[in-house]
Amino acid sequence: MAIDRKKIIDSLSKLQVQSDDDGLIPAFNVLVNQLPASFWNNFGELITKSVSADMLEAAQYLLYNAANSCGYNTGYGIITSEEWKAVVEPMVDGSPEDVLHGAFAVFTAWGWAKAEIVELVPEKKMVVRAYDYYESDIVELGASKIPSAYMIQGVCSAFMDLAYGKPYPDGNGTFQCEQVKGIECGDDYGEFVITPV
Amino acid sequence: MAKVRKVEWEIDHHFDPKTTRHYNNGTVTVLHCHHFITLYSQLADDAEMVDGKGLLCKAAELSFYEVLKSYFEKHGVTKLMERVALVEEYWKICGMGLLHFENVGEVSASAEMAHSHVDEGWIKKWGTRDKPVNFVGQGYLMAAMAAMYDLPMGSYKVNEVQSIVSGAETSKFAIVRA
Repeated sequence: MAIDRKKIIDSLSKLQVQSDDDGLIPAFNVLVNQLPASFWNNFGELITKSVSADMLEAAQYLLYNAANSCGYNTGYGIITSEEWKAVVEPMVDGSPEDVLHGAFAVFTAWGWAKAEIVELVPEKKMVVRAYDYYESDIVELGASKIPSAYMIQGVCSAFMDLAYGKPYPDGNGTFQCEQVKGIECGDDYGEFVITPV
Repeated sequence: MAKVRKVEWEIDHHFDPKTTRHYNNGTVTVLHCHHFITLYSQLADDAEMVDGKGLLCKAAELSFYEVLKSYFEKHGVTKLMERVALVEEYWKICGMGLLHFENVGEVSASAEMAHSHVDEGWIKKWGTRDKPVNFVGQGYLMAAMAAMYDLPMGSYKVNEVQSIVSGAETSKFAIVRA
């Protein structure tokens, strides 16, 4: 059975998370939070616009790294969850490529970005396009010169780590991501190229 | 004793299939995990030259102030006790922990967290440490106090005086007018 992206998104976008009596949301092997997207954007903007020019790359890397760690750990939690087994697993043949397509449908259902894989060369390269994503909200008028979707960048390379790296939890950091287009930069969509480090 | 109607934070959740965004009461909302927030907190802590901790507080204050203020306005919540209850409940809905205000006044307040997503996430990832890490919580309290008293952002300062991440049973916060 081929991946039915629409069915996955329809099904998993209805998933409502609720905190327990301690005000925490333990799920997918992690503690989950549900915050206004603007909070994440605000900090990214405040920190990258506050550091000196020679520190900008380091700040951008650390924002990317936060998402990479989140994507790797939460991503693993997702693809081993009951929700995945119920909705996505019946559609995947077990190949890393199928799992990746399924994972990006879940990525979309969670509201991280309306993203899909447009090119995939097993173990070598993946190209992802995002047609809508909250990180682009940092620009409301005009265009930024700096592609700033650090969360998508980090999660994309983490998903490649999960697909082709060493088994979890030892496979993180084997892929890198370059954002080559961004809605925040005036492009019609964001484009992300993931290759081995 | 004054009667206080029981208030509950009403969640109007909507998923827009066109943009694939989730909205809670009209605010774009997104799920993330403790790895993400603890690494943001670590970045803020490390960025001393630009007061990274202050920036993370500010990021939280900017977002939460709007959420709380618009909720109070839309639902006609004017009583302080009701606002306090809603502020505590919204924090829980976010999965950020168990917040309780011990006392509240316009000039000062004390709050406690019996559970904290940031602290417990930090411990899960790295273990304990001797300094506070809940800069997001501090920003939330700054936003909450300003929204509860119909004051502008930046009206309050928050000092975390005791932290779960440092081994205390609860985190405690002292809040004063700036």
